[in-house]
Amino acid sequence: MSSFTKSAQQWATFARSWYLIDARMQPPGKIATMCSVRLQGKHKPIYHATSDCGDHVVVMNTRHIAFSGNKWEQKVYSSHTGYPGGFKQVTAAQLHQKDPKAIVKLAIYGMLPRNLLRRTMMQRLHLFPDDDLPEDILCNLAEELPQPRKIPRKLSEYTQEERDAFPMIWVPPEDFRMK
Amino acid sequence: KMATYQIRRSVLAMQHLTRCFNQNVFRRITEVPLFSAAEKIQSRGFRQGERTNTSAVEGISVGTQEYVQPPNPEKPCPICRWNLKHKYSYEDVLLLSQFIRSDGGMLPRRVTGLCAEEHYKISACVKMAQRTGLLPDHKPKLPEGHVPKSKPVLNRYLTRWSIDSVKPILKKGLKWCKVPMPVGDPCLKNNIRYTLKPLYTKH
Repeated sequence: MSSFTKSAQQWATFARSWYLIDARMQPPGKIATMCSVRLQGKHKPIYHATSDCGDHVVVMNTRHIAFSGNKWEQKVYSSHTGYPGGFKQVTAAQLHQKDPKAIVKLAIYGMLPRNLLRRTMMQRLHLFPDDDLPEDILCNLAEELPQPRKIPRKLSEYTQEERDAFPMIWVPPEDFRMK
Repeated sequence: KMATYQIRRSVLAMQHLTRCFNQNVFRRITEVPLFSAAEKIQSRGFRQGERTNTSAVEGISVGTQEYVQPPNPEKPCPICRWNLKHKYSYEDVLLLSQFIRSDGGMLPRRVTGLCAEEHYKISACVKMAQRTGLLPDHKPKLPEGHVPKSKPVLNRYLTRWSIDSVKPILKKGLKWCKVPMPVGDPCLKNNIRYTLKPLYTKH
């Protein structure tokens, strides 16, 4: 507390920082909760709803998001154009095909508070379908947040030593032949 | 005539050798092709006492692992023997890969020795792992010359139902009667959990 100046402390508490989240193989709901917490500023002890203390959040690899269960086929995003006969229902897979950022954007939009600050918070959210980020955003990034879900390893990613170290659970009978 | 008799004898010898080979070797070693020697033998250049252009295949027992004694050898099914009853999931590919064929199909219960409920749980985990893409080398063989169309890849995990069989939920229902989206499998509900959070299968 005494080692830095008052001005440095002021900057550190009230500056708006930029966070990076990698959404590869992650469920969009968990990504959205992390983003909404940081966009509102709820991760700061100086939080107040009216004091505009939210930070910027950059989400990359939104194209490689992973839904649990059969949600790609079952989850339906509905909208109405306002005109008669304009009720549109699209599955998550179709929506992702059309726009890879839409699922994460809608998830975060639904988790923010329903007030006029929601739109400004959405302006501070930056979504990218792949991991090539523009330079000006790369310069601003302060911290990368850890991924919420642990990605399981494929069988091809295990080394031969690990496969040999794993014991054989059952022994095939003598007259058994594998096809 | 002599040539065909010699070929038949060598083929029978090969079959006998490969049978010995299979008995001694664990499943993971690939099969020796049965008729490779026969193809290489030239029927015309066959002389008595001299064998030209033959390849002799020796059946050597290659044991990759010595058999380790399980902690509970008296139990009937292998999972109870190794104390893995409620401890595995779709991510434990090293365990699941021991119960599947090279094209992804499950091995029969009478061969593996699993009890009925464990066989069902393992097959459910194997299906979920295949849909997640954790078993990329255990896919069924495509017919020759078939070029698969490039489909958009959608990452998924804990998928209970097969992808083509599921329909979109157009009417989700009101708050007290929502139609849930199932995640995971109810047969794994008794797995040990080290967190206090309950297991949600209805999202």
